[in-house]
Amino acid sequence: MATTMANDPSTHVRVWDIPIRLFHWSIVVLLLVSWVSADQGFMKVHLWSGLTLLALLLFRIGWGLFGSTTARFSNFLHPPARVIGYLKGMRGGEKHLYAGHNPAGGLMVIFLIAVLLAQVLTGLFSNDSLGFHAPFALWVTEEASNRATNLHGTIFNFILLLIWCHVVAVGFYLFVKGENLVWPMFHGRKHHSQVPAGVNIRFARLSVAFVLLALAAGIAVWVVFQGDYFS
Amino acid sequence: MSAPVYFAGVTVLTLAGITVAMLLRPAFASSVLRFTGLERGPVAAPGSFYSVRVQPLFDARCAGCHGDKMQKAQLGLESFAATMRGGKHGPAIIPGNVRDSKLYARITLPVSDNRAMPPSGKTPLTKNEVEVIQLWITAHASGSLPVSAIKNAPRLVRPVEIREVNYGLVQRQRAPLAATVQQLQRRFPGVIDYEARDSADLEINAFLAGRSFRDAELQALMPLRTRIVRADFSGTAITDASASMLGGMERLRILRLKDTKTGAGSLRAIASLKTLRSVTVAGAAPETAPLRQRGVAVYGDHDGE
Amino acid sequence: MSDSTQTDPLLELLERQRQTRRHFLGWGAGGLGAFFLNSAMANPAGGLNFARAPARPLSALPPQFAAKAKRVIYLHMGGAPSQLELFDHKPQLTRFDGKACPEAFLKGKRFAFITGVPKLMGTQFPFHQAGKNGTWISDRLPHLERRIDDLCIIKSMKTDQFNHAPAQLLVHTGDSRTGHASLGSWVTYGLGTENQNLPGFIVLISNGGTTANAGKPLWGSGFLPSVYQGVPCRSAAEPILYLDNPRGVSRAERRQVLNAVEEINRSSYKDFGNPETVTRIAQYEMAFRMQLEASDAMNISHEPQKVLERYGAQPGKTSYANNCLVARRLAERGVRFIQLYHWGWDSHGTPTDEGLNVGLVGRCRETDQPTAALLADLKARGLLEDTLVVWGGEFGRTPMMENRGGQEMKYIGRDHHPSAFTIWMAGAGVKAGLSHGETDELGHDVVKDPVEVRDLHATMLYQLGFDHKKLNYPYQGLEQKLTGVKPARIVYEILA
Repeated sequence: MATTMANDPSTHVRVWDIPIRLFHWSIVVLLLVSWVSADQGFMKVHLWSGLTLLALLLFRIGWGLFGSTTARFSNFLHPPARVIGYLKGMRGGEKHLYAGHNPAGGLMVIFLIAVLLAQVLTGLFSNDSLGFHAPFALWVTEEASNRATNLHGTIFNFILLLIWCHVVAVGFYLFVKGENLVWPMFHGRKHHSQVPAGVNIRFARLSVAFVLLALAAGIAVWVVFQGDYFS
Repeated sequence: MSAPVYFAGVTVLTLAGITVAMLLRPAFASSVLRFTGLERGPVAAPGSFYSVRVQPLFDARCAGCHGDKMQKAQLGLESFAATMRGGKHGPAIIPGNVRDSKLYARITLPVSDNRAMPPSGKTPLTKNEVEVIQLWITAHASGSLPVSAIKNAPRLVRPVEIREVNYGLVQRQRAPLAATVQQLQRRFPGVIDYEARDSADLEINAFLAGRSFRDAELQALMPLRTRIVRADFSGTAITDASASMLGGMERLRILRLKDTKTGAGSLRAIASLKTLRSVTVAGAAPETAPLRQRGVAVYGDHDGE
Repeated sequence: MSDSTQTDPLLELLERQRQTRRHFLGWGAGGLGAFFLNSAMANPAGGLNFARAPARPLSALPPQFAAKAKRVIYLHMGGAPSQLELFDHKPQLTRFDGKACPEAFLKGKRFAFITGVPKLMGTQFPFHQAGKNGTWISDRLPHLERRIDDLCIIKSMKTDQFNHAPAQLLVHTGDSRTGHASLGSWVTYGLGTENQNLPGFIVLISNGGTTANAGKPLWGSGFLPSVYQGVPCRSAAEPILYLDNPRGVSRAERRQVLNAVEEINRSSYKDFGNPETVTRIAQYEMAFRMQLEASDAMNISHEPQKVLERYGAQPGKTSYANNCLVARRLAERGVRFIQLYHWGWDSHGTPTDEGLNVGLVGRCRETDQPTAALLADLKARGLLEDTLVVWGGEFGRTPMMENRGGQEMKYIGRDHHPSAFTIWMAGAGVKAGLSHGETDELGHDVVKDPVEVRDLHATMLYQLGFDHKKLNYPYQGLEQKLTGVKPARIVYEILA
């Protein structure tokens, strides 16, 4: 269906800024790296990918408050009634257009960010019983650290489930509804027919993004210095 | 594509994916089977070598991280089924093959290797414990082979455990007789002592008082009789007149009567003491036979070799 | 017996009066804990309280938990007896007799006297199996052999000291340097002694004069109060040095002297209130009581003839046999820790007296019969079940023949060998008829169930009713323990 070039401004509208797109795909890569490194026992790699995830998540929260319109939480966070109404409407064949995330998608985003944050936080207190300790693992009792480790394992399974839901949902939009959500997350532009008319999207300055990223990275660096990896 | 077709496709793909994952990862396969209740775990017989020697070893040394509460590397060792199931890295035990059994490999790594099990900070397994596991694996990791079938297994020894003591409880246990004990300690210095700091039981070292300790003096100790577990009357002046008093020390374990004028009467009186473990008698006496038959150690009735 | 067990009311009063401000703040005997927790079994920090009345520093205290052992008789064979000629049967070593020692056994090892490449040497005396468990033993100990089913032989002892003095200090004080409290001092500190008219810790020495390689620190009290040190006694002549009244001074005159000294001490106490003075008064009193009882305990001449013959003891002489008989008498009388030293086992092969085929033979002949008799006697009197008997040296001897200066020796000997040696234990709570631990086929290194000296100490203290970590004494900023700072393991495999 998309025969025209996606970045042709006459047919496509820019909806996702660069930080959002970079964030999304970085998460995908980092999750994969975290999974494989934990599985194979490369704990130092796992630590670094986890810390990068932490920085990115903190950045995303900041960006959700100070970023572009479509990035802001206020843009896609709707009361539950609205989400249910949207889903019901979809069943009935109604077609509502959203520049950024639709209400269901918005809920998914919030959920994912929250669960990923929980995963990173439990990870910070975990240990692998073989001498590797996450930066905060030695601040708590061994029992508490083991509980955090168990939780870290359980939440991981939940993340897998959420990812499955996410992929199935995006696939549903693509194959059933005919709406490609993947391409826009690469190029940042949606076909104007997918976007409500007269929408005004404000794109925040990249300098704001850099400041937020720097702050988030600073926190991540402080965290890693709580461990003793450089002694 | 219509929604039903799509979801059908998703279901097929998901199931296919799970199947592939189960084939690639046996540990995942067993957790799926367990989750769906399809797995039937093998059970070890109660008198088997596994149940008597191996499982208690796992319970004592491994259950903290590989048991009910936690399964590090998805390995549980809390039951025969769990042990044979294995974990994240596959089966931990290859029946009959010690060298390739991952569990054995891990417990025999040098302590400096950080993959060694139990991990550093925990006490490593003793040579005997490793040998027990090795013998079991060699016997095809059987859950049914009886414990007697495996000869030359190292002796089963119980490690010592020194428990924390609740001294408040001990004081309360001593309380009923405490005043009497103190009073009698003043009257017979050095003779009456508590058996241990964590006990309310008493020992009587009357041998320190020598010939000045007579039947009447023993009578004075009678209020304490239920608490006396050890009594040494060697060299005192007690006689068979004290026989019934000796018989009244119902929790007595060790009794010494060397160099006293006690005789058959006392031996008859103590023959029924249930907790008696050893007696040193005053001299040769035929009445020691019933005690010996009960398994009580008897000394002093012959003159040494 | 004597009225020694009654206490002087004035001393009691003095004790109660000692709780002054000065003592609250100062270094009173037993420290701060004693004043507030005198009757408590434990201090709030969870440790154990060993405080006692200053006038009765050796009064008996109950052990931490119910114990099998009430007393210890330690038979130390000074100089290090050769385990390869007595207990550790190594047929492979005999096969390689006369061959050069393989490089692997020499690399990185320090020897006291061996240089170059020594030759391996098999046992000089034949071994055979004895007892109901078929325990291996050489032909040098025919009497002990008959008691072999009572013994628990540990063949896997290890130490890290290869010279006599530090090794003896390690075995007897838990540290290879001087200044630490001896085993007997720890035990009397923790348990006191039952008989207040005899020292709690008595040392009996034979075949070597009064000093050992390491000297008096072997039975010294180190940093523990000096009242817990070992008292060397002699089985001939005057049992305790300087205890008897000087010639010409009667007991009654001695009493007058002591009364006068006591008055001065009491007056000093009134002026300065130092509780050590109260201890001093009590010790003079104890010494006075001991004059009678110690002489009686040490005097073996009234023992029946057949007992004397069984030990091979001869009244009036100093000998290991006499000492063993005295040890039994002391055990019967409620002495807590009895230590015997017999010297001359250092079979290097230099002088004849120390060669394996002369010196060792002599030492065995001197000690075999009395040791066996002691075990039998204790058992017959029902004392073995609560007496812990330990026999051993300070290290082992090498499987290689000694070649001092690289030369072949005129007499056959072995050098010092810390990597593996043998001791045995018997009595209280130790599994009888057991052989624990193994060395390799040449007897060089321990390959199964190694037992460090501190493990032995931890096990002994456990049998006496203590967690070795809880029997401690604060000194130089550390809670000092017999077992030291390295982790020590209770050898539970040998416990019944």
